[in-house]
Amino acid sequence: MVTTEHVEAELISEKASAQPGQPTLVGLKLRMADQWHTYWKNPGDSGLPTRIKWELPEGWKAGEILWPFPKPLPVGPLMNYGYEDEVVLLAPLTPPAGAPSGAATIKARAEWLVCKDVCIPEKGQLELTLPVSPSPPADNPRTQAYIERARNMWPVEAKGWKYESAIVGKSLVVRLVPPEGAAPPKNAHFFPDQELLIEPAAPEKVTREGRAMRIEMKLADPPPANLQAVSGVAVSENGWPGMDRKAIAVQARVSASLAPAAGSIGSAAGNAAGGSIGIALAFAFMGGVLLNLMPCVFPVLGIKVMGFVEHAHGDARAMRVQGAMFFAGAVISFLALAGLMLVLRASGAQLGWGFQLQSPVVVVLLGLLFFVLALNLVGVFEWGAFAQSMTSNLTVRGRYADAFLSGVLATVVATPCTAPFMGAAVGFTLTQSAPLAMAVFGVLGVGMALPVFLLALFPQLLRRLPRPGVWMETFKQILAFPLFATVAWLTWVLGAQSGNDSVLALLGGLVIVALAAWMYGRWRHSPGMWRPVLAVLLGAAGVAVAWPTPYGPGGPGIVSKAGDLPWEAWSPEKVRELNGQGKAVFVDFTAAWCVTCQVNKRVALHNAEVVKQFAARGVVPLIADWTRQDPRITETLSSLGRNAVPVYAFYLPGDATPHLLPEVLTPAIVLDELSRINGNGATAVTQR
Amino acid sequence: MKTASLVATLAAVAIPLAAHANAGAGHAAPAFTLTDIHGKTVNLADFRGRTVVLEWNNFGCPFVEKHYGSGNMQALQKKYGADVVWLTVNSTSTGSPDYMKPAAVDTHLHEVGAAPAGYLMDDPGSVGRAYGAKTTPHMFVIDPKGVVVYNGAIDDKRSTNPEDVKTARNYVAAALDEMKAGKPVTTATTAPYGCSVHYR
Repeated sequence: MVTTEHVEAELISEKASAQPGQPTLVGLKLRMADQWHTYWKNPGDSGLPTRIKWELPEGWKAGEILWPFPKPLPVGPLMNYGYEDEVVLLAPLTPPAGAPSGAATIKARAEWLVCKDVCIPEKGQLELTLPVSPSPPADNPRTQAYIERARNMWPVEAKGWKYESAIVGKSLVVRLVPPEGAAPPKNAHFFPDQELLIEPAAPEKVTREGRAMRIEMKLADPPPANLQAVSGVAVSENGWPGMDRKAIAVQARVSASLAPAAGSIGSAAGNAAGGSIGIALAFAFMGGVLLNLMPCVFPVLGIKVMGFVEHAHGDARAMRVQGAMFFAGAVISFLALAGLMLVLRASGAQLGWGFQLQSPVVVVLLGLLFFVLALNLVGVFEWGAFAQSMTSNLTVRGRYADAFLSGVLATVVATPCTAPFMGAAVGFTLTQSAPLAMAVFGVLGVGMALPVFLLALFPQLLRRLPRPGVWMETFKQILAFPLFATVAWLTWVLGAQSGNDSVLALLGGLVIVALAAWMYGRWRHSPGMWRPVLAVLLGAAGVAVAWPTPYGPGGPGIVSKAGDLPWEAWSPEKVRELNGQGKAVFVDFTAAWCVTCQVNKRVALHNAEVVKQFAARGVVPLIADWTRQDPRITETLSSLGRNAVPVYAFYLPGDATPHLLPEVLTPAIVLDELSRINGNGATAVTQR
Repeated sequence: MKTASLVATLAAVAIPLAAHANAGAGHAAPAFTLTDIHGKTVNLADFRGRTVVLEWNNFGCPFVEKHYGSGNMQALQKKYGADVVWLTVNSTSTGSPDYMKPAAVDTHLHEVGAAPAGYLMDDPGSVGRAYGAKTTPHMFVIDPKGVVVYNGAIDDKRSTNPEDVKTARNYVAAALDEMKAGKPVTTATTAPYGCSVHYR
């Protein structure tokens, strides 16, 4: 035995003797002083693995050290992997087949780094005498307990488990898929064999994906080049199903992306994670129902219901079919839209929900569409032979197609309304597996289509409404105004994206389109083709005028009024620089089309007390504007685990890890957050 | 709106925060202003246009002792001192048993014959954290444009044994030689080894 200041080291043997040609376990037992630790084969952020250099009799062979699983050892902002109290590092030693009987002397030169607040490199020359004998060896009662403890901490190969891995954004994801019928434990910690693979100090995120367990870790920066495979140890304090061990050995090839987890939705309902998926689906459904009241959706559905009213006294069966067609149209187009987005994302596009509105072209086209719909509702023109969607003089088949198309239209007009209100929720969904994301969108569509469907199914509800009459015309005209309001909002969004000139172009285009609609309606009784042709030509001219220049002069920049926060433009370098100077930084990830963002800014961030505290505590407010596509923002959001705005990130002085605030802010939440810094953080670095 | 916030709260609970900054190779070097052991203010920006070496240091650490006891670190500081700005940074917190006051550091530097262009005190640890300095030693090389071109260990022999210095491949020397020859740095990232930086 060697005793140093902090460690008692000893060579121990599993058996009382060794048999020629047969491996036997011999190892180094280290007993550390209280709170001192030694290191695993991957020591983590610092430290050094313990080393054993064997000096064996002639012909003996030594195998690799069998490392027991380590323990995470946080040291301030850093993380080490190692052992406290005691560790036994065993290795198989094999005497040659012709080893003579008698005492063999096994020597080992061991070096270990032992640390607490400080680190001491220590070493010891150790020796063990082990008899060699051809008879089967007896257990060594003195060491059995130690050997057993070490053996129980060896990672084992788990039968029937499969492992998958991929790099997702700035994370390394390892997925552990249990064999059929087994469920993974609730929690586990992954220790990679390889250094410089992950940031050991970043928390690991463990979630359930169907039957599988998903462990997400922050990749090292820069990430390892040409990563082909990862290996390591997954440790669960509650053990693994069918095994009385806490640690399993994990080896996975790293593929470009992870396939959807098997049974992601179906079997999830019954397990622990099923709760949150169930809640997500329930909220998606409620959200879908609420969409009916959105200014862009309500008019379209209102008109559909008007159509039903006219039929409510007619053929009940035909109405039910129409309702079902509408339902199908809405749900299918919701799924199609979600599918399109998932495909675009899978092909590498940096998109979040609401991505449509990052394109000025889409904003302009939506503005024109809503404007035309509103003009129609207010009575400037009737569709005439173009599309007799709201009239009843159609064949039965035509009416079914019409109902389906209404469902599609409802979805199309709903998207600009879903994005600003539901961006964060849908963003969460997108971080889940593809089948789950599709399920959430499907349920959203079901929720939106359900009220109209129910009305079609139970026409007696409609009979409570007044009989068709003049009131319907008035109601229809009133419905135009929410649409006009939506146009006003889209114009403002465009202004934030492409500047003042684009707004003028859009307004000019709207005037020309209005002229086209008016001419089309004014001479509606005139025969001949001049009317539709001129209307189409003028309409096209309107679109051409409104069409935004591909690269606008940029957004309005950062405009701060007196009494607002003194916003500055965000960049990752800026955050690093301010952080390095010891300043506290508040980043507002926002977009003009995000309504939640605007509400938060008015209600919480520009609250007088909040503005005062920002100044008093020297917090630098930065604004990251996602109104237009910006890959740097998308990337930063994804490194924060988000892909939609709003996101509010607060960096304490000198701490590069931000704390994220909730999506919906109140002045109290912000003040509470600010109070985490003591006094003026601006001078933290420039001390002494 | 309510829906969004509730589901978003779920998301916020499920997604833990990322940790630790890192001045990884290829990234801009975080700016800083620190005070050296003589009370002089040193700003990284002042050295724009020159190559800067940052050496994280704590003389109480046996890994640092290996490179100073063998004369390795002083030799590097002297050999490259004319071409580069060699800054030694100490992020040991005042509460650590290894903390040394500036005057004590000064004496020790003379004793061992060290010659950095500056020895900077960072006991709040802000600069160390901004760079993601993990160990002592932990080396960074910053090119004249302010970009980190090397981040990692001093050499490839992870030990406390001074004898190993003779046979080790020194990554910092290799990077500086390549830069001088106008070549890109071949080994830009390695795992640093040493004691943990004793952050507050």
